[in-house]
Formats: sequence, C-alpha cells, structure tokens
Amino acid sequence: MRAIPRALLPLFFVPFLLLSTACQKSSDSSRASEGASTNGKATLVLGAYSVPREAYGKHIIPAFRAKWEKEKGQKLEVSESYMASGAQARAIVGGFEADVASLSLDPDIQKIQDAGLISHDWRKQPHDGIVTQSVVVIGVRKGNPKGISDWADLAKPGVSVLTPNVKTSGGAMWNVLAVYGAILRSEPSEGAEARAEELLAKILANVKIMDSSGRESFLNFERGVGDAIITYENEILVLPEAKRPDIVVPKSTLLIENPVARVDAYTKKHNSEEIAQGFIDFLFSPEAQKAFASQGLRPVDEAVFSEVRSKFAPVENLFTVRDLGGWDHLKKTVFADGGVYDKALAKGRSAGKGS
Amino acid sequence: MKPVGFALLPGPGELWVRRGIVSYIGLLVLVPFSVLVFVAFQDGLGAFWERITSDVALSAVGLTLWTGLLVGVLNAFFGTLTAWVLFRYPLPLKPLVSAVVDLPLSIPTLVAGVMLSILYGPASLLGQKFSALGIDIIFAKPGIILALLLVTLPFVVRAVEPVLEEVDPAEEEAAVVLGASPWRAFRTVYFPAIYPAVISGSLRSLGRAMGEFGSIVIVAGNIPQETLTAPVYIFGEIESGHPATAASVGSLLLFIALALHGIARIAEKRVGGRHAQA
Repeated sequence: MRAIPRALLPLFFVPFLLLSTACQKSSDSSRASEGASTNGKATLVLGAYSVPREAYGKHIIPAFRAKWEKEKGQKLEVSESYMASGAQARAIVGGFEADVASLSLDPDIQKIQDAGLISHDWRKQPHDGIVTQSVVVIGVRKGNPKGISDWADLAKPGVSVLTPNVKTSGGAMWNVLAVYGAILRSEPSEGAEARAEELLAKILANVKIMDSSGRESFLNFERGVGDAIITYENEILVLPEAKRPDIVVPKSTLLIENPVARVDAYTKKHNSEEIAQGFIDFLFSPEAQKAFASQGLRPVDEAVFSEVRSKFAPVENLFTVRDLGGWDHLKKTVFADGGVYDKALAKGRSAGKGS
Repeated sequence: MKPVGFALLPGPGELWVRRGIVSYIGLLVLVPFSVLVFVAFQDGLGAFWERITSDVALSAVGLTLWTGLLVGVLNAFFGTLTAWVLFRYPLPLKPLVSAVVDLPLSIPTLVAGVMLSILYGPASLLGQKFSALGIDIIFAKPGIILALLLVTLPFVVRAVEPVLEEVDPAEEEAAVVLGASPWRAFRTVYFPAIYPAVISGSLRSLGRAMGEFGSIVIVAGNIPQETLTAPVYIFGEIESGHPATAASVGSLLLFIALALHGIARIAEKRVGGRHAQA
C-alpha cells in the first residue's frame, strides 16, 4: 500500500475544517453594504418572478427612477433579477440581497418570512400586498376542436392536457386549486370533496407532460403539444392576437394573486427602506398598474381595472385561495405528502394504465 | 510495486505536492459528498429508508437505473463499433466525423433535449409519423433512452479508440496468417486489449446517464411512476422544499454508482485474468 495512508492524512481533516468554518455564522459579514442612499446615489435591488419582467423593465422601473430623481434629487440605480418564483424565493433566502421581492404566490413570500428576513406584516399594504391578479383559464387550439367548455371536459378520454409539475412549479398549484376549488364549491356540497379528487385524478390521467415550469408548459403548447393547457389568463393575453390560443374561461375558477414585499433584513443592511417602500407604493399607482395590465395581468386598482375591463373575460364564479381556507390549510390538505394531490395523481395513474 | 522515476520537486516538496493533490480531490469531491450523505442520514436510518422507498422515489430510481444500464450496454456495442470503424477505415472527412462524435459533450444537454423534442415531439412531422405507428418518442421512455444515448455517445468511443491504435498490427497479421477468421482475429487480438476500455467507457456513460438532467427534464414528460427519472425527482424535491429527501435519493444513487464500479472492477479482473491464462 506504499505511503498512501500518510498521504491521505490531510484528507481526513478537510471535512472537519470545512464543517467547523461553515458552522461559524457569517453574521458579521465583512463586506460593507454598497446599497445606500448616501452620496446622492441610491440603489434598489428587485428580486422578481419572470412574468412581469417586461412591465418592470420597460415601464415601471424607468418611471419610478424618473420620479425618484425628480423628487429626491438623487440618482437611482435599480438592479433587477428575474427567475421562477420559487427559485427566486430560495435565492433570496440563500443570500441574494433583494430589497423588494415580487413573486407569483403567497407561499413564496412566506418562505422568505419564515427565514426571518421579513419582520413586518407585509399584508398591511394597499390591497393586502397583492399588486396584480389573474385567473386560471384553459387554453385550447383555435376553434376549440375538442369542444372544451369547463373543467370536466379536461377529464374526457382522448383529451391531452398540459399543466406543470407542482413539485417544481409553485404556479402549478394555482392550476390544481382552480380545479379542486371549482368542484368543492359546486352543488350539492355533500360529497364535493370526493368529486373534486375524482375529477382531479381524471384530469391528471390526461396529463402526459409535467413540465418543470408554467413557462415551459406554455412553450410546449405553443409548439403544438396537447389539446388543452391549464394556464393563467395573462400568459395568453400577453401574446399578439394572431398567436393566441383560444381562451376558455371555466364557469368557476380561481383568482391568482401576486404578492410583493419589502425584505427587511436586506433593506436594513442597505439602508434602503425608504426606496423599497417608495417602490412598493409606486406599484399601486395608476401608472404602474397600467403597465401590468399591458402585460395581460389584471390590475388591482379599481379605476385602472374599469378602464381596461374589456380585455378580461368575466368569470361567473370567481373564488380566492382564502375562500378555500387559505394557503396554510391547502398546503397541508392538498399538497402535503399523501395529500389530495398525491392521491389524485396515483389514482389517475392507475386508471390511466387500466384503459 | 515501488513507484519509480523522478520527483517533481526535490525532498519534502514532493510530499507536499502529494498531500496538496489529495486535499484538492478531497475538497472537490469528498467534502460535498460527505455533506450529501450527512444530510441524508441526519434524521436517522429509518427516515432515510422511508424517503427512498416511497413509490415515486423507487420507481424514479428504477427507471434511471434500467435506462442507464441499457444505455451503458448499447454504448458498449455501438461505441466499440464506432471506434472500430473510425480506426479501421479511411473515412473521408475523418476529423469531421470524429468531431461530430464529441459534439454532444460540447453543448448544454438542455439544448440536446430541446433539439430532440423539436425533431421527434408529438407536434413534429417525424413525431406524428411515429405516433401513427403507435410509438411515442418524446414525453415517453424512448425519448429518455434517445437523449441518454445522445449525451453519452463519446464515452466508449473515446475510451476504445486510442487502445485500438496501440495494438501491434503484426499480431493481427499473425492471427490471419495462422488461419484465424476475421471475427476470431478480432476476438483474440483486439478484444483483450480493448475490453477494459469498453468496460470503463460504458461505466462512465452509465454514470453520466444516471445523473443526466438537462435533456431529460425536457424530453421525458416527468410523470411520476412513469417517466419521472431520479434526477428530475430530486430536482422536484429540492424545489418543493424537501432537501433531505433530495439528499437521500441522491445518496442512494451514489451508493449504486459505487457498487456498479466495484462490480465492474471485479468483472474486469476476471475477464482480464482469463485472457491472460488463455
């Protein structure tokens, strides 16, 4: 065995060395924070999900920058990062120092709060901290050849449905909850839970591809895969008219609510609380709300919404996550291991194999 | 056997080079892997067992394993054949063919996946031809195998080709002169030489296949218990906030890979020994 044992010695120290240094909390971060509103120049870091990228980059941020410079006489630099909502939340928890988090769904903001980075009640904002809305709809091929008019039609044999994997796409939870909630709220109320699970199982059995994100799922649909896609209204509305698939608005569907929050831990560190709050307030201004609407998102500002109302199809029975018992409840009952979703998926699979 | 030859550095310097390199490998490989195994087992053996034996996890690991093994075997055959063709025949544009073989390693595998799904996807011309025959390629198991074959193509070829070059052509001539059939000449002259290379090349392609993510997440369809592979399952567990499950299944793959390497070493020795005696 030659001199190997001796040569190997340092190898055994390495893990311990690393573990011990890793355990020392890097609380006294040596790097001086750059972002501050000191010398006539201010910076703001925005960590957002990818859908409102155009609205932020092209309209909202330039407008806010101009406003800030005019009012404070201070140059403002905004660095923007766009990722899938869940990945963005994880990045922020992992140390990406975003002053403002603009994400697709409440549980992703919750992740940041659970990590102790948000210490204020972020829902105490106008519109409960929700800046934009959308609804879950069904996209179908032009002319609706499969005659799809409601959720139940997605369960029919021979209909190929696209919806992303809920494990990798937080946004896919909206889709599942839309189907589940629509049946849960239907008449008669007894046995609704079982009916909802049953329908979900049948629809999931028709899903041949579970893409890792809503975006990817939509791209596959655009490429010609599948008969129907469960998606968000804004994904379709943002396309030029000629390229849009037909939209089927189910009688009863879920209102999607996209939250925004200040990340206290980082705004404190950057001394950028005022800018961050100013930015969030600006997001509710008519100007920003119109920019969101131009990207197919439903504005929360009523005045702006009534201006652009014609763009958005009315929904007969619109419900929210709160109507279904709130995210915490749904995460436990629907999305936990062995929850409604897992059961429906397994049932759908075994039924699919039988046919 | 005592190591012979010169020292890179005189005296104790040499020892430090050795120590440095061992630490380098340790930092690069051993530390991250220890962390992985640590996270997998920190809640105890029972928790680990529960995580790796869930229906979805088991089927994902199973799928990854059998497709990986299949691809390893297919590569052993086609890769050796490719190397043989490149070695034996004066192909026109040989450098170009050789470069094409390496191409899959130089593009992101995600791109490979997108390519395949455009070419064979259910909406494509080819995909529709196949699905008329009742064969789904993309978003089904054949797509997984196709993608794995593509991204592991060079491994066996590149392992075997240089070994073929080293065989003394006089041996082959002798075999043929002594009346051996071409197949027998190949078996007795070339095969013993390239056998270890075939094994190590196809092991590397198996290893690569077991870890392949980029192309698979695009082409597989990712349906639990059908087309969801272990790497994509692990990704989902990370994304949905279950790092311990991800680490457990990751560790399981690691152990399987180590075991396969062990088996291959033994097989290599056995066969090598047999040929040495013959």
